[in-house]
Amino acid sequence: MSRRCFWVLCLLLAPFACLPAARVADSLVRIQATSQDPNYRVPWAGGNVVSGVGAGFIIDNNRIMTNAHVVSNSRFLLVSKEGDPKPYLARVLFIAHDCDLALLTVDDPNFFKGTNALTFGGIPAIESTVSVYGYPIGGDRLSVTRGIVSRIDFQPYTHSGVDSHLTIQIDAAINPGNSGGPVLQDGKVVGVAFQGYSGDVAQNVGYMIPTPVVRRFLKDIEDGRYDKYVDLSLSYHSLHNPAMRRALGLSDEDTGVVVGDVFGGGNSDGLLKTGDVLLAIDGLPIASDGTVKMDSGDPVEMAEVVERKFRGEKVKFHILRDGKEEDVILPLTHSWPFTLQANAYDEKPRFVVFGGLVFQPVDANFMREHDPADLRLRYYFDHFISDHLYRDRQEIITLSSILADPVNAYSGEFRYNIVDTINGQKIRKLDDLAEALKKPADYYVIEMVGQGRPLVLEKQAVDQARERIRTRYGVVNEQQL
Amino acid sequence: MRRFPLTIVALLALAPALHAAATRPNEPVATPAPATSEVTAASLVRVNSTNQAYDFFRPWNKKAPYFRKGLGVVVEKNRILVTAELVTNSTYIELEDPVTNARVAGQVITVDYDSNLALLAPSDENFLKNARPLALDKGAVVGDHIELLQLETNGLVAQTPGTITTIAVAPYPLGQLALLTFRISSPIQSRDSSFTIPAVRDGDLVGLLMRYDSRSQTADIIPAPIIAHFLADASQATYQGFPRVGLGYSPTRDPQLRRYVGLKDDGGVYVTAVRPGGAADKAGIKRGDVILAVAGKPINQDGEFDHPLYGKLTFSQLTSDAKVGDKVDFVILRDGQKQTIPITLEAVDRGSIVSDPYIFDKQPRYLVVGGLVFQELSRPYLQEWGANWPKEAPQRLVALDAFQDEDTTPDRGKVVFLSQVFPTASALGYQDLEHLVVSKVNDVPIKSLDDLAKAIATPKNGFHKIEFDDDPPIIYLDAVESEKSDAQIRQEYGIPELKNLN
Repeated sequence: MSRRCFWVLCLLLAPFACLPAARVADSLVRIQATSQDPNYRVPWAGGNVVSGVGAGFIIDNNRIMTNAHVVSNSRFLLVSKEGDPKPYLARVLFIAHDCDLALLTVDDPNFFKGTNALTFGGIPAIESTVSVYGYPIGGDRLSVTRGIVSRIDFQPYTHSGVDSHLTIQIDAAINPGNSGGPVLQDGKVVGVAFQGYSGDVAQNVGYMIPTPVVRRFLKDIEDGRYDKYVDLSLSYHSLHNPAMRRALGLSDEDTGVVVGDVFGGGNSDGLLKTGDVLLAIDGLPIASDGTVKMDSGDPVEMAEVVERKFRGEKVKFHILRDGKEEDVILPLTHSWPFTLQANAYDEKPRFVVFGGLVFQPVDANFMREHDPADLRLRYYFDHFISDHLYRDRQEIITLSSILADPVNAYSGEFRYNIVDTINGQKIRKLDDLAEALKKPADYYVIEMVGQGRPLVLEKQAVDQARERIRTRYGVVNEQQL
Repeated sequence: MRRFPLTIVALLALAPALHAAATRPNEPVATPAPATSEVTAASLVRVNSTNQAYDFFRPWNKKAPYFRKGLGVVVEKNRILVTAELVTNSTYIELEDPVTNARVAGQVITVDYDSNLALLAPSDENFLKNARPLALDKGAVVGDHIELLQLETNGLVAQTPGTITTIAVAPYPLGQLALLTFRISSPIQSRDSSFTIPAVRDGDLVGLLMRYDSRSQTADIIPAPIIAHFLADASQATYQGFPRVGLGYSPTRDPQLRRYVGLKDDGGVYVTAVRPGGAADKAGIKRGDVILAVAGKPINQDGEFDHPLYGKLTFSQLTSDAKVGDKVDFVILRDGQKQTIPITLEAVDRGSIVSDPYIFDKQPRYLVVGGLVFQELSRPYLQEWGANWPKEAPQRLVALDAFQDEDTTPDRGKVVFLSQVFPTASALGYQDLEHLVVSKVNDVPIKSLDDLAKAIATPKNGFHKIEFDDDPPIIYLDAVESEKSDAQIRQEYGIPELKNLN
């Protein structure tokens, strides 16, 4: 083609392909992650090794941003650039499971040669156009899809299962393999593609992590450590009932929400109480449905104010308590105190094996793998926080399985029971159990919650069975605390 | 007696094959003879019951009626014996002469849900003028042959032979007791009026059918000794029922457990629970005691003693067979020492039950305040969620019902909860609330609906302050608005009475 034609083509193609596409391709990274699932059924053994593909993009300081779920439990990470066949070894710098973000780097400096760091924009307007870049199913090379911003809202982040943050919904196709890829508008990253609905459930519904969440993550790690989100750790309710409003001393015009439950060990514990009416947060009036008006003027959940804060900062509430207005300042020192209901990653399952009895703490991963039918265990897990069961124990320790041996021949009926005491010592966490079983005694009398009869193990019998059980069942470690 | 451990033991006992048939002394082994039944239609009555249960979700309503038809047996004093299941929640009972088809109304004179037995009487004395009451045969044992009786449409008695294959203590369907049960092997055909039918031998009543499994062709019957206990009790001024000891136990098969508690001999069961205020508690039995003998009979590791007629039987039979007020000696091992503790048997204390396992023949209690519907937790409420209710009903309520015996505080009372909210002006904003356990109303702790009714009478500053063991912890109602809303509910939803505190 003669030069003149080439220029014309370039100008015609300029709005779509020429300059912007070239830039993004220089910033896109294809991530091939090999990870190993944890094994909650045979906790001293490793689980399945699986392999997956996700996307990432280069940002300043030789860092690659992607989703946490692309690199969770990873054992081996390979990254490659668009147009360059060479794979490079990468490693995780920081990972945030509570907002599904992660940063990688490549030690080989050649990787970053010729690449382009993307920068972040703001929150795109509803109905404006965005482009999604990634490596979804349907091919191996970089893929681009385009859509508009449909909705900006608080949504659950499915990676942890218990966290909700600001999310932007778009109608561009987001498929497996898009995870971790950038969403661009006017050359800047306005989101990280991370989850969506399958076509059978809803169509054209994809989600991206917006820049306020990303910026918070990047700021948090500046001190070399990810400190996680801080949390109010309370529940609150709208105030629609006129009698309730009058009883609390509110007029018809007043707005605000009422505090329900304050969770022990959280940031509000001891400072706010049930029945307090929250009128304003950091000077922003709280509407009757719990929303405040922030930057864009659109109402957002008041939790968004706390979402943007970091550990060590404070939040100020203007409240109505027993008919009097006052200010309460909450130092935000803690994250949500209860991790057991969240999906856990990059952790070895903790356990103790004793006399062929396997004891494990109950958490979301455990419940998913075991799916126990035991009513009490399910109740304790589901209601650990709401029914204040955490006041009595830090962890729910259960007898998860029995490695059959004469020493435990009559222990079957105790499976999935919750350990309460051992030789009179209250067991609040797994460490307590390990410690109690190390103390010398002729018998170990294990009382389970709700059981009238204890599980009794004779020390002598346990000692004799130990080697036999280890060999027979391949128990590599007898505990992981 | 706690039911659960007994279930384990009893089901184990029912599983094995025939026990050796016990022969009575000095009698040749009887050969089964295909006898014509000596029982005629004069001893039988068709009982047609129309039953209607209350709707626990809308306790001011009854559900659609259903019909049960069984064969009642004429017993002493012009009474008709049927299973309680036949007539639970009955609105109308019809008694029908099998030969003449004459019908009269009947009513329940005595009912015992625990032993699943009911005595009916005809509204017309003459109805049983020519009836021949059956006597009880309390001597049947494993291996004996019996006949199960049904009626043909023309009034002829049809008999189906059966054999007693197993005798054990097993849970009865309605209540909380496990009692003596005979399992019969018999190929019964489907016929009218067979919800319950009698089992007889040589013209005497051996038992009443309570369950039949057509696949395995086995029937469970309520045996004559239980019926005899029931009839004797029913003839007293007050019916007291089968006595309770108030303890739960578990087997001691684990040799490590046996060595730990110092059990040197063979038998014994471990006391796992003692009901506060119950007979065992009053006598001084404690959790951790090992029961070695009851009423002079040694108990094995599974809680069984040797019955002269029936062989190995769960020891609860020794106390169930006695009467309320009887003293029974329990030999226990405590801290390595044996001691004898006499326990005075008591009648069941229904008032102390937190969540009732059944509510029959009466309306569930409820109270509506300002559109908020309050009820007391019971298992029938949870059972409204269907066969899979343990997983589908609200889990907090399921747990409170399942673990109620673990709450040992003396005045536990009942679990009062907000079940649902009628959308009304006074309950604006609360319409999505449901299944919340009430702790206090107007600062009064709530242990029953009666407490709640009293507390509502004293609003504070014109408000009802309602506190929950849940989230939201507190809500308020306007006392005056509540009354207005309640009046509207009566009108708009056609509910005549907004409370039942009976």
